[in-house]
Amino acid sequence: MAFMFILIIFGAVLMHAYSLRPLQAATDRQLELKCEHIYKTLDTAWVENYTLSFLRAAAENLVLEYPTIPGSYLCSAMENTLNYLSPSDYEISATLTYEETTLTFNENREPPSKQFIRQGTVSIMKAGGENAIVHVAVMLFKIS
Amino acid sequence: MTLTQILKTLVTCILVITFILVTASAYRHHRSISSLANLSDATSTIMTHLAADELAYIDETDNSKHSYVIDPCKLENLVFTAEFGGDNFEFQVTVHYRLGDDEQELGPYGSVLLNDNTTNCSLTAACALWSNGRFLPAKLSVIVWYA
Repeated sequence: MAFMFILIIFGAVLMHAYSLRPLQAATDRQLELKCEHIYKTLDTAWVENYTLSFLRAAAENLVLEYPTIPGSYLCSAMENTLNYLSPSDYEISATLTYEETTLTFNENREPPSKQFIRQGTVSIMKAGGENAIVHVAVMLFKIS
Repeated sequence: MTLTQILKTLVTCILVITFILVTASAYRHHRSISSLANLSDATSTIMTHLAADELAYIDETDNSKHSYVIDPCKLENLVFTAEFGGDNFEFQVTVHYRLGDDEQELGPYGSVLLNDNTTNCSLTAACALWSNGRFLPAKLSVIVWYA
């Protein structure tokens, strides 16, 4: 009898916990969507006082010797924008990689409990007419 | 029938009733969670439709559509109802953006939640806003509920 009673309690907890899974999955899908929107925004929106998008400006800083936007100004503008766009309890970091060089904004130093990554590329024309492909990873992660 | 047998039958009946109640409760819980998950997915779909299509800025010089860039002129003519999977939804849209250090807001546009107790789902996602010839970083907020 006692065993049956324990079994019922255990089954009840299990059934209720299992039914929460669709909601958790829907929340994760929303966060995935937010990550996609953040990437597209950084790819489209211009840095204040310039007519260049955040990702293109960052890629230029990585590839070109004389980028349109100075590094220190871009760093401050980018981190301000990332903080503005980040959902509550989450942070955004952006990493650009070209050959062996990496540029990271809002670097996450602790292992995140949950993260969503959107990757893409930005192409920059170098001085000699060579096309440089910069790899971009935008990460949305939960602050633990 | 001895007292022990009566007690055993009674406890068995209680256990069976408890099991039925627990199963019914789990089913109701599952239904309400599924309904919330549907609402959440509908909100994501509406957000995608708005950002990628209905509110997307169209450059008149080459007629190209800029998905994820909001054209504020389109906000007023938007239809604030949607139907997905046989369910009807109403929604409200607000655009937040920063001009210098000031936080600005466009809206809210659309339907008004008549009852605060109505189950609703809100979603805020980043987007760009076409304003005075510039692409500004902004946030698009959508509140969706069952019509």
